[in-house]
Amino acid sequence: MLHIKDRDLVIPGQLIGENVRHDMNCFREGDNVYSSIHGMVRADENMVKVIPSTGEYIPKEGDLIIGVVAEVMMSWWLVDINSPYMCSMRGEEMTREPLNNDLNKYFKTGDTISAKVSRVDEVNSCQLSRPWKLEDGLTINVNPKRIPRVVGRKKSMLNIIKEKTGSKIVVGQNGWIWIKGNKTELAIEKIKKVEREAQTQGLTDRITEMLEKRNR
Amino acid sequence: MELIKDGKRLDGRGFNELRDIKIEVGVLNRAIGSAYVEWGRNKVMAAVYGPREMHPKFLRDPTKAVLRCIYNMAPFSVEDRKRPGPDRRSVEISKISSEALSHVVMLERYPNSAIDVYVEILQADAGTRCVGLTAASVALADAGIPMKDMVASCASGKVNGEIVLDLMKEEDNYGDCDLPLAVIPRRKEVVLLQMDGKLTQDEFKKAYEVAIDGSMQVYEIQKNALLKSVNEVKIGE
Repeated sequence: MLHIKDRDLVIPGQLIGENVRHDMNCFREGDNVYSSIHGMVRADENMVKVIPSTGEYIPKEGDLIIGVVAEVMMSWWLVDINSPYMCSMRGEEMTREPLNNDLNKYFKTGDTISAKVSRVDEVNSCQLSRPWKLEDGLTINVNPKRIPRVVGRKKSMLNIIKEKTGSKIVVGQNGWIWIKGNKTELAIEKIKKVEREAQTQGLTDRITEMLEKRNR
Repeated sequence: MELIKDGKRLDGRGFNELRDIKIEVGVLNRAIGSAYVEWGRNKVMAAVYGPREMHPKFLRDPTKAVLRCIYNMAPFSVEDRKRPGPDRRSVEISKISSEALSHVVMLERYPNSAIDVYVEILQADAGTRCVGLTAASVALADAGIPMKDMVASCASGKVNGEIVLDLMKEEDNYGDCDLPLAVIPRRKEVVLLQMDGKLTQDEFKKAYEVAIDGSMQVYEIQKNALLKSVNEVKIGE
């Protein structure tokens, strides 16, 4: 039985319901299910979850992230991924013989790359694979927990922003977004707006309308 | 010193009344979570940074995060200038606050990392450790850190032979006893309990009940402040 409606706000330790199936950010004590964070409840048929509005990025297997090379080691790179945990990337990702090649040839300290998180272990240390160098452009920072809103359902929001501003955008799940194009300022403005108003409804329509007005 | 006149306290409060409490959430841009609390004449700012990389490295714990609370009084927070920097008292309060908060935060989610909570006392008027804890727990919730529950805190004490709630400066200095208490509101588990002064067993029981009631009132204020903070988003250009 639910004690709370869909889209209600909860605080940590607030009772959500009894004997309900729960997903992320909930915990159970006996029959009762409580929220573990401050956020918005989403409840459908039989499942409840709580959507956070802030928080740090914790690496997850399969995520596409944007990182900055922090250090070049003998046979691997150390990559900063805007998270409490540093990431390592093996030299084998770029060359067969990392020890005989100078890794600076591929990525130098300070280079921005996009990559996939290939492995995360029990203490959240992770490894990256399939790196791609992002040249020029600029990287902006948004709240990692609001990235799903920036991307939108089936990438709807992202496609609209990309299309209307004509810029290349790569969204990292870790809260860093890489943008390149002629109208980067407009794109940044809209992304920041989405971030700010993440918990409101009908956001995609408002952004579309605004961008069309600007283009006219 | 006469602290109670005609059943009223110096500032006109009853025995079981709290001072005015105002909580603002998300006041600092660069912190992940923050809160500002005005509690009577107390003014306290709390900021949460993290989870973030733990330094020094040898203090890392691979089974859970380490929560570090740092309580600091500004030099101008009290009547005589307070010598800046940590002293015996603030180190003690930092330690007990970290321990109280560690009981509710789900630290095992973030192995090898640190969560830093800074509590700055801008103006002090008795009961600052309770105000600090209240602010810190709101800031932690604002930071999106998973917790089993909030921490609500309030003090009670004995003044002129009466058990009263939430002592103010004069009552703290010239009263008989001060009993700060912090609880997890849902199950009323005590995470901090100190006593400065003397109480008989019966008086202690009463003071304890009074402080728990006060903490529950504080919890409601924390809850309202947090729920309100999300609704304040403005729609527009």
